[in-house]
Amino acid sequence: MGRGASGADRSLRQRSRRWTDVLVSLTVTDLKVRYGRGGWQLVKWIVDPFALVGVYLALVTLVLDRPGEAPGLSLACAVVPFQLITTTVVNAMSAVSARRSIVLNMGFNRTLIPLSGALTETVAFGASLFLLVVLMAVYTVAPTPAMLWLPVAVAVTLIFAVGVAYPAALLGVWMPDIGNFVMSFVRVLFFIAPGLIPLSQISGTAHDLLLINPMTGIFESYRDALLYGDAPGAFELLYPAALGAVLLAVFVPIFRAEQRQFAKILEP
Amino acid sequence: MGAPGSRERTPAWVHAEGVGVRFHFDRHAHAVTPALARLRRSGTQTWGLHELSFRVRPGEGVALIGPSGSGKTTLLRLIAGVMSPDIGRLDVRGRVGSLLSVEAGLHGLLTGRENAVLLGVLAGMSRAESKAALDEIKVATKLDDAFDRPVLSYSEGMRARLGFAVADYTDPDVLVLDEVHEALDHEFRSIVAVRAQHALRTGGIVLAAGHDHPLLATICDRALLLSEGRVVADGPFEEVRRAYLGAEA
Repeated sequence: MGRGASGADRSLRQRSRRWTDVLVSLTVTDLKVRYGRGGWQLVKWIVDPFALVGVYLALVTLVLDRPGEAPGLSLACAVVPFQLITTTVVNAMSAVSARRSIVLNMGFNRTLIPLSGALTETVAFGASLFLLVVLMAVYTVAPTPAMLWLPVAVAVTLIFAVGVAYPAALLGVWMPDIGNFVMSFVRVLFFIAPGLIPLSQISGTAHDLLLINPMTGIFESYRDALLYGDAPGAFELLYPAALGAVLLAVFVPIFRAEQRQFAKILEP
Repeated sequence: MGAPGSRERTPAWVHAEGVGVRFHFDRHAHAVTPALARLRRSGTQTWGLHELSFRVRPGEGVALIGPSGSGKTTLLRLIAGVMSPDIGRLDVRGRVGSLLSVEAGLHGLLTGRENAVLLGVLAGMSRAESKAALDEIKVATKLDDAFDRPVLSYSEGMRARLGFAVADYTDPDVLVLDEVHEALDHEFRSIVAVRAQHALRTGGIVLAAGHDHPLLATICDRALLLSEGRVVADGPFEEVRRAYLGAEA
């Protein structure tokens, strides 16, 4: 029995090592294909969220005239994690077709494809966290012990991003024509969440309705950790994490069942 | 895993029992997966392969011949694990190495070196093994400096060379070739033939499809003639080839 258990352990270890190797290889090549090689990709990952925050900052301070506390940092707390969700969905929608040459040529665990796409975008996301540090310095927001919650907020963002990657990848295979519609839907999620204006500045029914959007918890947890110096509320972290877990529980088995059918519908 | 021929080969086999593959189309004639077809209800379906039964034993080289659309590529994709049968049972024993398209699993924006690492890992090597094999694979491809250039600058023959060199390095028990070898120059064709014959001598299996029958004859003693997704003849290569050419005439 002991030998059987150690054999099962060895098999599990081998499988984990194999999956890790495949995942790393898919991610490394995806990074090169999507973002190119050399130092410029790092510059792009940092400049992109800077530009986006700049545009929204102009909107909030000049047009809406609701700057609030450290508006640039408050916006970045929403834009940076939202960029990960958006780019993960974009990546996932084309994840299978972009790898059609290997999907049509080799048998391997394709369930790792959406995960590798999410990891690709996580590398860019990691670089864009630099923006948060810069804006904390610009607004002279001193670090507090609440910053220790940032890794938890990042982990929740990743769980949610990986969760949405699987249905997005399936949609990309099943209905590639609806890519623009899906992206519009994802963008709407930013504007029906406290992306531009923090939740504390919104009251009444709108406040309560915004809590349904999982982005609300993600954005507010970054603000809590970096801007307000508070521990994020349990709901802010648990709701998007649970939603991400539910998406994984539902869509990974569907993706696994569908993966052997992809070759039937991909053009060579 | 190591250089070609360096390990003891697993006895390989391919058993197919009543294998069928169905393709579904929606009412706009777009190919859809079975799950989506069930949701959309209206649509059509066609059998790409129908009730296929055959056995390939260790040391056998089998050619798949038949007109375009007869199911050769679909059958090779099944054997390579690219897709699964919708009905029936397919049992493939041994490590499979596949070259199923002129793209040979390569991504145009990646260099030959980067593609070789990825294909090596997907074929079953660890990343460390795949990287360690690069020098040998580069020599085997004879691509020289082109090995570090993006694959989009390669000819079909260069792609096929790279794809074959990686597949060969992994020392597959079951080598699956679909017309790719026809893109190769004469020198590399003879290398493919030598490597395939080595695999057969050591108990491996080679399954190859194509329209270049003299080339297939150098690798395969047996042939399956496919027509409309069914095996209509199975026997010695020359006999089946004559049956095919006779039926075409």
